[in-house]
Amino acid sequence: MEQKLRDEAKALLEQGKVDYIIGFAPGSLKFTTTPLITKDKGDADRLVINPFIVNNLSVFLTEIKGRVGIVAKGCDSRSIVSLIQDNKVAREGVIILGVPCPGLIDVNRAEKLVGKDRDEIDDITRDGDKIAITVGGKKKEFPATEVLFDDCLSCESPTPEEYDILIGEPAQLACDTELSREKIKQLEGMPLEQRWEFWKGEFNHCIRCYACRQVCPACFCERCFVEETEPQWVHPVPRWQDNLMFQIARILHVAGRCVDCGECERACPVNIPLRSLTKKMDEIVYDLFKYQAGTDKEAKPFLTAYEQEEAEDLIR
Amino acid sequence: MSRKISKKDIGKLLSQWGEKFTVFAPAKDEGMAKMAEWDGKDTSFLDWYRNTVVPPKANFLPSMEKMFSFRQGEEGYQLETPSEIDKQLVFGIRPCDARALSILDMTFEDAYEDPYYLGRRKNSLLIGLGCTNPCDSCFCTSLGISPTESNDVDLMFTDIDDEFLIEEVTDKGKELLASTSGLEETTEAEVTKAKEAKEKAYSRVTRTINTEAIADRLLASFDNQDFWEQIAAKCLSCGICTLLCPTCYCFDINDELVGKEGARFRSWDSCGFCLYTKMPMENPRHEKWHRVRQRVCHKYEFYPMNFDVIACTGCGRCIRLCPVNWDITQTLESVPAELEKQKA
Amino acid sequence: MEQETKKEAKWEPKLLGFLCRWCSYAGADLAGTSRKKYPANIRIIRIPCSGRADPLFILKALRMGFDGVLISGCHPGECHYQTGNYYARRRIAITKKFLEYLGIEPERFQASWCSASEAIKFAEVVTDVTKGLKEVGPNRLFIDEREEHGAKASG
Repeated sequence: MEQKLRDEAKALLEQGKVDYIIGFAPGSLKFTTTPLITKDKGDADRLVINPFIVNNLSVFLTEIKGRVGIVAKGCDSRSIVSLIQDNKVAREGVIILGVPCPGLIDVNRAEKLVGKDRDEIDDITRDGDKIAITVGGKKKEFPATEVLFDDCLSCESPTPEEYDILIGEPAQLACDTELSREKIKQLEGMPLEQRWEFWKGEFNHCIRCYACRQVCPACFCERCFVEETEPQWVHPVPRWQDNLMFQIARILHVAGRCVDCGECERACPVNIPLRSLTKKMDEIVYDLFKYQAGTDKEAKPFLTAYEQEEAEDLIR
Repeated sequence: MSRKISKKDIGKLLSQWGEKFTVFAPAKDEGMAKMAEWDGKDTSFLDWYRNTVVPPKANFLPSMEKMFSFRQGEEGYQLETPSEIDKQLVFGIRPCDARALSILDMTFEDAYEDPYYLGRRKNSLLIGLGCTNPCDSCFCTSLGISPTESNDVDLMFTDIDDEFLIEEVTDKGKELLASTSGLEETTEAEVTKAKEAKEKAYSRVTRTINTEAIADRLLASFDNQDFWEQIAAKCLSCGICTLLCPTCYCFDINDELVGKEGARFRSWDSCGFCLYTKMPMENPRHEKWHRVRQRVCHKYEFYPMNFDVIACTGCGRCIRLCPVNWDITQTLESVPAELEKQKA
Repeated sequence: MEQETKKEAKWEPKLLGFLCRWCSYAGADLAGTSRKKYPANIRIIRIPCSGRADPLFILKALRMGFDGVLISGCHPGECHYQTGNYYARRRIAITKKFLEYLGIEPERFQASWCSASEAIKFAEVVTDVTKGLKEVGPNRLFIDEREEHGAKASG
């Protein structure tokens, strides 16, 4: 599968069909990959496909100038469709190398399961619905649902639905929709005050690195609302009140364009469970309006569309 | 002169010190390690602690601090500066982070003596804990920093299995030790054991960089736009590497006003943000490659030019925490060695 | 303690209303000229259309200390700009649901369609919303009892 990807990428560059190839190369740490953005066809041999290709590469589409051949998993291709809907990316300007994905391994979870840090783990491999973690030569097996990312457990498009070239066979999933929304369920079960206290505690950790915003393909504003000073919507000082306000507003702004790729939560250095917010927003949008981001490139973006009759019961 | 203490008695030791200082020790919050106010009993950090996510610079240059509050009265403005700074003791600081504080001192003592930062430095004690298990992202040894020895702490603890060997480093540390009870004398054998542990830890730092003439090489590559654009391509311009870097110190100052009262706050800022250098007429670092170049050169070229020291301690946080695994050691290795050409 | 109860006994909720210029604001005006009584707890900001209301307005109002926010516009199909209130409706709907999920009492954010002739409805809506706010109490969402200024390390 990797070889096919490398050959296709090389061909695209050689034939001048694209100016850049964006894909994944091995990272400099164990169990990591890193985005590879290149014009050089020699670099195509560095492209990899493995359970650690976490980044949503479509985030680079709004800043790269030129035609792009981009490696996209299912969630990534939905982000690309969402960007096409928003007129930020032209369909003819991208060649999507679709990569079916059976789920990505969350190294944090693996670390917790074996009580060792990642540089002390020998290997993590996927075998069907089991994942084997090897420490000190000894292999331990776990159900895949305990080691994959939360959002992978409820993935509805393991095989990209929008692509130009499909690399490999359609993927088999390890599904557990209930497990993927366990934290959300917990929050829904709490009384209102307790929920707010929970988020207060979480956002005390936020340092306003804005990684959540920068990794998100849907956050492409040239000037974010937090950077406005006239009027100053959100104070730049990282106290929990303003941190929480920033995140609430950000998620409301990307409603209907967020595909729940989970990058925001993964990127957060202080482990704030952002997917408990983004996934809930996705559910709200779907429950009320039957709209799912990135599934129809002809559809109008969610917040610029309407039906004659909808959501009337929420308004007096 | 060294002493020792059993790991089992660390709780007692911290409690003892807690009578005179606010003690900070490693703690895990949602799986994220940080220096937090010690809760009085939990010493389980001895089992898992390697290094914190938020560096100890947060104890001296907090992510948010009130500089003063003000009120408009009938006769102008009245300012109120914060009250006395608590005495704090940071237990378990690693040599890389301790060195980082000494590097930060150079800036905060330079043209203007910053009373907030320096006030905290004066009122604190650093209890260093030598590494036994460096991460694969650590590269302190390439920068002349040892994972096990430090001149930047007041006392140095070395792990010798069930006990810690305690060495005095500064006079402050000597004073503290003299007034601390419950410590035992060390034997020759234990001192040797500590030495062996230190050598072993040193050899376990496997990531290295070549810092020879790095400042000159960067200077020579300053205008090489192709090189820097390629290096910067995958950066997302978030603030993680800078905010969590122990030697980064950029800050923003904001006044917040409600009616006739308000306060001035200082908070962390990042040169990685697009609008960091925005001015009314222009933004000299509008392009991403300008900002990435700035980060690398500040650490490895400008700081050495001004203060004779590389402003990086090899803690590896930027490598571990970057969402796209942008790796400064890879960047430094690929800086074109055009020195020969320049010389000719 | 005594002062606190005195304060609370005197407490009146502060409600911020965003009314669209063509329908709801005119409706509020008509309520006034017709001498229809409604609580003075509401402070009104006139916006050109309910579609102008950004979720940020609601958040900022709550952050500043308002006890509740009301957005009111033309009935669907009657928007002066044809479609503004349709967009508002989507935004209002997701904001309502999301804020409740976060732990903010639903009474704190309300929305209504009120036309220029519906003076009685406007008075009723404001009375009702104010009553709801009195029941949920003062907005203490963003109040922080701890020290803010970081003499101790934060983060």
